This record gives sequence, C-alpha cells and structure tokens, in this order.
Amino acid sequence: MRQEKNRWTTKLIAVEKELSKPRYRKLTDGIVIGFFIFVIIGPIFNIFSTVVVSYWEIQSNVFNDPLTGDLQWQIMGTVLLRSFWIAGLAVLIDVIIGLPMAILLTRFEFRGKQFLDAMVDLPLAVPTSALGFSVLLFWGSRFGIAGLFGLDVGFFSAGPLLILITHIIFTYPFIVRSLKIVLQETPKVYEDAATTLGAPGLTVFRTITGPLVKEGVIAGIILAFARSLGETGATIIVAGMYETAPIVIVKLRRALELPAAAFLSMILIGICLALLAGIKFFSRRVGFPIKKIWPTGERFLSKPIFRKTRNILAVGIFLAFIFITAMFILTYVFQPQDPPLWAELNGGDLKWAYLWTSLMNSFLIGGITTLIVMVMGVPMAFIIVNRKWKKVNTLLDTLIDIPLAIPSAALGFATFMFWGSPGLDLFFPGFWLIVWVHVAFTSPYMIRPVISIIKKSNKGLEDASRTLGASNLTTFRRITLPIIKNGILAGAIMAFARSLGETGATIVVMGDIRTIPVLIVDWVETQAMGSAALASVIIILFAFVLLLILRYVSRPRRVLNA
Amino acid sequence: MPDIELRGVNKIFKGKVIAMEDVNLKIKHGEYVFLLGPSGCGKTTTLRVISGLEQPDNGEVLIDNKDVKDLLPEDRGMGFVFQHFEIFPFMTVWENCIYGLKVRGFSDEVLIEHGERALKTVGLLDYADEYPTVFGNPGLQRLGIARAIATGAKILVMDEPLGSLDPKARLSFRHELRDLVKRLGLTAIQVTHDQDEALAIGDQIIVMRQGRILQYGPPEELYERPTSLFVANFIGEMNFLEGFIYPNVLGNNYLVRLEIRGPKLYASKDHAIFPDFAVDQRVVIAFRFEDVYVYPQNFDFNKPGHERMEEELNFIPANLYSMRFVGKTTRFIAKFASGEMIQATKPGTFPYQLSPGDPIILGIHPHDIITFEHPKDLAYEIDLS
Repeated sequence: MRQEKNRWTTKLIAVEKELSKPRYRKLTDGIVIGFFIFVIIGPIFNIFSTVVVSYWEIQSNVFNDPLTGDLQWQIMGTVLLRSFWIAGLAVLIDVIIGLPMAILLTRFEFRGKQFLDAMVDLPLAVPTSALGFSVLLFWGSRFGIAGLFGLDVGFFSAGPLLILITHIIFTYPFIVRSLKIVLQETPKVYEDAATTLGAPGLTVFRTITGPLVKEGVIAGIILAFARSLGETGATIIVAGMYETAPIVIVKLRRALELPAAAFLSMILIGICLALLAGIKFFSRRVGFPIKKIWPTGERFLSKPIFRKTRNILAVGIFLAFIFITAMFILTYVFQPQDPPLWAELNGGDLKWAYLWTSLMNSFLIGGITTLIVMVMGVPMAFIIVNRKWKKVNTLLDTLIDIPLAIPSAALGFATFMFWGSPGLDLFFPGFWLIVWVHVAFTSPYMIRPVISIIKKSNKGLEDASRTLGASNLTTFRRITLPIIKNGILAGAIMAFARSLGETGATIVVMGDIRTIPVLIVDWVETQAMGSAALASVIIILFAFVLLLILRYVSRPRRVLNA
Repeated sequence: MPDIELRGVNKIFKGKVIAMEDVNLKIKHGEYVFLLGPSGCGKTTTLRVISGLEQPDNGEVLIDNKDVKDLLPEDRGMGFVFQHFEIFPFMTVWENCIYGLKVRGFSDEVLIEHGERALKTVGLLDYADEYPTVFGNPGLQRLGIARAIATGAKILVMDEPLGSLDPKARLSFRHELRDLVKRLGLTAIQVTHDQDEALAIGDQIIVMRQGRILQYGPPEELYERPTSLFVANFIGEMNFLEGFIYPNVLGNNYLVRLEIRGPKLYASKDHAIFPDFAVDQRVVIAFRFEDVYVYPQNFDFNKPGHERMEEELNFIPANLYSMRFVGKTTRFIAKFASGEMIQATKPGTFPYQLSPGDPIILGIHPHDIITFEHPKDLAYEIDLS
C-alpha cells in the first residue's frame, strides 16, 4: 500500500494559499524593491546631494586651497586620466588576446577543452589583491621571472607598467567569459549558412557573427572596462607611488578629507553610470562592422594555417602570460624566504592571530552577505521577470546592473557617507557596514543567474501546477524552486566569492576590522611578504573550491521540452 | 558520370553516437535524390558531410570524381538550404541574396545580374529592398533558395527545406521546388522525414536507419519491392503477419500458414526476399493496406467479370472490427478468428452496408505479398523511431 504523510503539509499549503493573495504580493514587492533602492540608489543619490550641499567646502578644498591652490583638482584630473588609459589599454589588449580564446572555446572541438575552459576561469577566483601580489612577485621581484635570468631585482618596478599587466590579467577572464557567453548563445547555423554560400572563415566572422554578437560584446567590454576603472586591491599593491582614481579615494578617506573624496567618487560614479546608459541605449546603433568585403585578402587570411596559428597563439599567450603570472603565488610560498615564514608568523606582532581572525571575518561577512542577497535577490529576480510593468521593469533591470558598473571603492565610500556618521548615522565603520557594502555590490551576481534561469525555464510547468489546484506560493515551492535551484546556488557562490575577494569597498568602510584581501594589502605594505603569500594561498585555494562547485552546478544538462 | 560519390564513409559523434556507418552512394548529374529516414538516422549528417560542414572520420567524398577532403566548405560551391531558413536577420532581402556572390568578390554587374535572376526565379524581386521580416515561412524559404542558387551552384543541398512550412503550403511548394530544380538543371539532395514528399518529387530515394543505407532506388522500386522489413514499414502502410512455409506448392508460389491450423496464403516466389525458403521455416509476410480486397460474406463471385478473381486471390474469412470513411478512402480493420488484425483501405466510400462484428471475406493477390525471413526481433526490425 502506498502511504502519504501529509498532516503538516496540509497546514503549510493553507498558509501558502493565504499568503498568495494579491495584497501580500504587493507588500513583498514593495519591501524587496524598496530594499534595493535603499541599498543601491540611496548611497549614489546621497553622494550627489552631498557634493551639492558641501559645494563650498569642496570649492575651498579642491579648487581654492589657501596653501596648495587647485593642486587637489589637478591630481584628480591626472589620476582620472590615468585610470582611463590603463583600463582602456588593458581592455583593448584583452579583447585582442581574449577573442581568439573565446572563439576557440565555443567554435572548436578538441581534447582537453573542458580543462582549458576551467583554467581560463581560474584567475576569476583569485581575489584581486592576491592577484596583484602575484604579479608583483612574478614581474617585479627577484623571486619571479627575473630570478630565472639571475637578476637581483625584478624586471619592472612597481608603477604604471605593473598596473597595466595586473589589469590585463584581471580583466582577461571577464572578457573571455562574456565573449564566450555571447558566442554560445549565437546559433552556429547562421555561420554555416554563410560558409555554404562561399564565405571564408574571416568573412563569416566579420559579416555574420559580428553583427549578431555586437551588443553582447560591447556590453561585456564596457563592464570589464568599468571594473578595471574601479579596481583597488591589486592596484594598491603594484602601484608604488603611482596613483589611480580609486586609490586616491581610499587615501582621501583615510585622511578624512570627506568632501574631496565625495567629489572624486561622484565623478567616477557619474562616468560609470554614463557608460552603463551607453550600453543600454546606444550599443544597438553602433555601425560596426564594415559591410565591405575584400575577397582575396580575407580568403588568404582564412587559410587553415592561419586559423591554427591563431589558436596556438591564443592558448600560448594565455598560458605563458596570464596563467603563470596569476598562479605564481602558489609556488612562491614554497621558496625559501628570509626571514623564514614560520618565524615571521610567530613573531611579536601575532600575525597568526591576525590571519585567523581575518579569515573568520572574511567568511562571516561573505556568509551573511550571501544570505541577505539571496533572501532579497531571488524575489527581485522574479519581480523583474514576471511583473508586467513595462518601463519599470527595464528600470529595475538597469538598477541591478549599476553595482557591476561603478567602482566598488566609490560605492563603498558612498555607502559610508549614507549609512555612516556623515549621513544617517546608523552604522559605524566596521563589520556591519562592510556587510552592507558587500550586499550592494554582490547583488547583481546573485540576481543575474536567477533571472536567466527563470527566463529559460518552462512556464508551462507552473501553469500545469496552477491548473492542478496549487496556489502561487505552493507552485513556487514545489515546482519553480527545484527548477531554478541551480541558478540560485550559482548566484550564491558567485556572490560569496566576490565578497571574499573584495578589497576596495572594504577598505573605505572597515574601521579596525580586517578581511583577508585587506590583510594582504597591509602585509605587502609592511614588507611581510611570506605571510601575505600564505594568506593569498589560503584564500585562493578556498576560492578554487568554490569555482569548482560553481562549474559543477552550472554545467549544462538536459532539460525536458526546453 | 556520378556527380557526388561517398565511399565507405564513417562518422561517429563524441565517440559513441554512430551517425554514419560505411555509407556508400553515388548521385548522378541532374538527379533529384532524397535522403529519407526517422530522426537520428544520420541523414542530416550525410548532408553535412557532403557539403563539408562536417569532416568524415574516414572514407572518401568525391565531387566530379575528385576527392574533396581538403576542400573547405566555402569552396565546394554547393547551395545549402536550411530547415529554419537561416536568413541573416540584419540584412535586406537583396543583401541576403547576393551575399554568396559578394564574398567571392564578383563585380557589381555580376552581382546585379545573378542576384536579380535568382530573386526573379523565386518570385521575390519586388521585395528586394525590404527586410526579411516581411515574409512568412514560405517567403523566407524562397529567399533561402534564391540565396543558394544565386551563387551559380550546380548542386543544391537541402536539409528539410519544407519542414517548417504548414501542411498545405508544403504540398504546393514541393512541386514548385522540383520544377525549379529541373528547370535550372541542378543536382539536388534533400533530407526529409516525410515519405510522401520523397515519393512525390524524388528521382531516387535513399532510406537510412541508424547510420546505414538500407535501400537506394527510384520511388516505384522502394514502394513495390522493399528489401527489408524496415523499408517495407517505413514507406507506405503494410500489414505484417508471422507464419511458416507449408509444403503444398501451387505454381511459382510459397504456401504460408499463419499458425498451426490457421489460414493459409499463397505468396509469389518472385516477390520473396529469398527465393528458396525451406519447408517449416519461419517467415514474415507483408502486404499493403490498399492491396487487400474486402467483400461482404454473401458476395457473388460468379457474376460476370468476377470469375478470374476467384482463381487468383487468396480468400480469408474474417470479422469486421471497424470501418471508417477518412476522406478519399475508407479504412477497414478486420480480425481473423485467431485474433490477428488486418488493415485495408479502399478508395472512396464502400458500397455495402456493414457493421462491426459482421463476417467478411478478405482477398489478397499472391503477387502483392512479400515474404521476408523471420527476424529475431520483429518489433525491433519494423520500429520506426
């Protein structure tokens, strides 16, 4: 005999039926949307209004200081320009070396493809400050590449070139990833059609694939550019005396020159918001690529030999330049150091204890952040997909992209101004303010995958459940949740990993709390290289595990009548 | 002279899915050839191997007697027509049409001449400057064909070109397609899983199953003389009955007994797959629905014009199970006393009043019966999926 134990589920279903009524839906919609407006829009709006309110103070500090005149403003202009050309150059180089890699990973079949794919994703898991440290060791110290040539100092000293290298390495996986996703979503049949019509490979890519992937590629590039523009953790380590805009924000914040910091944050945020608006409204209208065709030249360049060369170069550059540099830190720990690592850790300043509490802080902050964005982010994803509010949906969709585009240090500073003592005075710099900032910038990582899996899932299943008599909420629990749970898990892991690796936003709001990425920056600054490397390795290994789980849960699988 | 030839081609996907197994075929110049089979039988893969979009694991592909292994798909000069059209959405009708000429670097005059001729052939010249969104599915496929023939391709390769059209449009479009191919003197290879389409407009039909070619011949041959149980079941509609060879032989026929004490039927030796079955050997006999005659029990065979029937036909008593007029034909299901079901179709309406359960007589001509060796697993052999 079949048995069903349903005593308490009957009660649960009754509760769900009650809560499925429209008025509760309106209430939760209001709470969720209000939450994100407060967390994301609040600080940004506040920073603009602060600048307006304290205009005279800024005027006297930045433009008309009695001692230095407009020196502040000149510095800001210089660092903004620097940040721009570094981000621009890094993204340009990444597109050049990343596009062949993305094509290789999406349009070719070969043995070990999965493995290469995972390797390309690996630098994504490395927290940026650890990445910066790795670059510093490899290119800028005698332990790295210079050691092979028997030199006593590194190839490059800390400064613009190292920053550029760091930014190339750190944006590379982002670029490849976003290119890969657009290429995967573009059906190959159009390319087949063009091929059978006699178009050589290069022409097919330029005239067929190009227009199809244009929007996605531009969006990916702009987001990578914005991330590079706002990168703090790695840049601090490799910058030396050379400053970029986010570093200046951190410095001004440390020196408590709040109005000036607010002014610079506002400029950075404004620029990034303009870029984001650019993606949303203008990428469709770019007239690239050129329609003209050069048959002989393109046919020559499409020969299999060039294709092969391109593939080999893509893999070669990735392995030799990006992968080795990013992973070098893992080998550094095992090199003999002076003073020995154990002595350094057991020294008078209790580095062991610091390492341990920072690690716990990182995990605790990451965990709480993930929990909050999960509870608020999943309903938000449903609101964006399911509500039919037309313009409002587009607005909300853009709203959750904002934290992706604006520099985290600027966002962190804006949040500090809003929630901390200069603003609402609800949180002191410290644990909870860090959590709050992390919630703001990790939310898109949570919401995006959930949105995409909801869009892909089969609406018919929910309709079937409703016609069988289940209420909205029961349908959600029994039908929708099992379908989208991998999307939620993927989002949660990404949010956790991002929180774990964040430096810039944490530095401006941390008070005397330390997380691992910040600890790495601190220790590199005080020349405790061995301990910094150990901290990096611990956090990297942990991030690898997360990445592996992420790849496992988001692997493609067969879906019924998808 | 064969235009296209495959010699011993194998193709395995991901090391386990066998898409082509030792495929050999020759397609002559100017022929309209159909690749027919259930989904997943390897017909589309065969098409993609011919056009170069897939490389075979081994074996040779020859076009005009030349091995084209090293010829990239863009240099094979074949017109490919897709099931879902694959019209470039961001180009106008005209830009779509001349794309193949443009990428080969032809001069503007050639572009205009060939492009206009191709659009005119399919009747879309008036829409040249529109975007393809103005078309429904038939219009999109016309453009797909124009785009493929504008390059001057002599071989047209089509992957279910009518698969995305609705049934009525499909019926008229297929004759249009054959006219066009014949008018331009093209060699055409078309994949379909619609057997009517293949029978209606194909010169030759290749039936594939699980990566193998089962039979290759003109439509009449496949219909009249299928060489395997699968082809017999796949093309047209057939009854399959199990039985064994009985010793009595009349003329050049086998006598097949359906089961112990069951009805006996004469089956022509000429139409057996092996001409020398031994007595008591198990066989499967197959005959088409439309080759079964249905008579009421009291039918007068002595009436003038009916005498010869009695000598030639096998007569089997049965009971009517159901009878329905399905438009154009009447469909009968009859039941033998032993429980086997036989289906029959007759054109038009049936002149006699019958109701379910009534005794009837079925007549089958020995020449219409094909005798097959009994396979190990009959259900598997005739499985169409």
